[in-house]
Amino acid sequence: MIEERKEASLENNEIPTNAESPPPPKKASAAKLLAGAALAVAFVVGIYYVNLLWIAPAVMSQTQAKGSAQHPLAPDFTLTDISGKRFNLSDYRGKVVMLDFWATWCGPCRIEIPGFIALQNRYGNEGLAVIGISMDDGPQPVVEFYKQFRMNYPVAMGSEKLGELYGGIIGLPTTFLIGRDGRIYAKHEGATDIAVFEDEIKQLLGENSTAESTNFKQVGQMVSNDKIELGNPAEINSEVPGVDISKLTAAQKTTFEKHLEGIQCTCGCNYNLLKCRQVDRACGVSRRMARDELAKFLKTHV
Amino acid sequence: MRYVLIGGFLLSILGVAVGAQDSTPVVEARVVTATDAVHPNSVARIAVIAQVASGYHINDHHPTLEYLIPTELKLEPTKQATVKDVVYPKGEMKRFAFSDSPLSVYQGTVVMGADLEIARGVPAGMVTLKGKLSYQACNDHACLPPANVPLTVNLKVVRAGVPLKHMHADVFDRIQSE
Repeated sequence: MIEERKEASLENNEIPTNAESPPPPKKASAAKLLAGAALAVAFVVGIYYVNLLWIAPAVMSQTQAKGSAQHPLAPDFTLTDISGKRFNLSDYRGKVVMLDFWATWCGPCRIEIPGFIALQNRYGNEGLAVIGISMDDGPQPVVEFYKQFRMNYPVAMGSEKLGELYGGIIGLPTTFLIGRDGRIYAKHEGATDIAVFEDEIKQLLGENSTAESTNFKQVGQMVSNDKIELGNPAEINSEVPGVDISKLTAAQKTTFEKHLEGIQCTCGCNYNLLKCRQVDRACGVSRRMARDELAKFLKTHV
Repeated sequence: MRYVLIGGFLLSILGVAVGAQDSTPVVEARVVTATDAVHPNSVARIAVIAQVASGYHINDHHPTLEYLIPTELKLEPTKQATVKDVVYPKGEMKRFAFSDSPLSVYQGTVVMGADLEIARGVPAGMVTLKGKLSYQACNDHACLPPANVPLTVNLKVVRAGVPLKHMHADVFDRIQSE
């Protein structure tokens, strides 16, 4: 059987031959070759000018209106700082914001704080606002740290959900630099030299608040792929965290959630899939399993 | 066309590798027992072998600084078995860019031991304990949130007098009290 298949395959790949010999190749004349080359050059030049005059300006104006993917708008949030004052990120529009995700148990985070205090002192009057988002489990160690280090900028308790809005905070510290226009210009993962922050802050302080900066130059290493990627709100705010079920009807959502309740998560949590997604939002195993289940569900129910 | 297909295949492999990296835990752990079975009314020895990913460290059970989150082995007691003692290894003193003083940490392979008391009237059969290894990992410039590795201890209980076979001597030789 295998032999037969091999033969058939060979037959299919054979170059068709005729009993008669193929016609001899025609010799291209020099004039025809030149004409062809000229046509090709004209085509390339034409494409260049079409791009220069029509495509590039259209893309540029669209980018300016929506903001580039390189500098996405910082997701707004409302939090209460550890002194009890409620604030929105959008309250800081017009200022340069340094948004620092950190924790008291994180050595590399702690070592950065005195530098942030100094930057707030030095550039506060020029429009810098440092904001600390603590990823500690509770406020007590944060309050103690705040007093001990005499922090001079607001610190609020963060959450996994807030971290997800900012693309997922995998390692601490993670610091975002937000321009006066509310766009994220830099994201630094891990302890970063304070001189890097200072250089980037000075650049952003020099920009006006309405237009997106096109001159910003990232100084230090940012993230592994040098891209600032934000979370998808439809996945973050979903009843099944991490899975976008916004296209399902209310009845379909209920059916899907019950379906997930009937599947055991394999991450070792001893929960069903829905419970694991709700209890441990960061669990990559249940996220992947629930997304696979949604794909199957969409095929059969929608 | 062939090159396009090969390229697509290689890209898909790369995608899978990146996806896997996203969910690969920094610490993996497994449980081994000192004997192939245990007797009722005896002490059974188990070891938890944790592997910390290269470049990362987790904190000593007794960390050098107060603010650091300790590594901890937690096993839930049952009617058949309870935890008598847990033995953690001594951490290595290491210097990191983010700390003025050296810190006591665990790196590479870490072996912890636990003595479990098997209750008097436990019948022959299987006894299972659930637990977790809690840790908080960092590398030289960043830290990951506290995390747990779920653990399951399966013990085969046999009648008193049935001979036991010793296992994993190399692992249990490594267990030393701090």
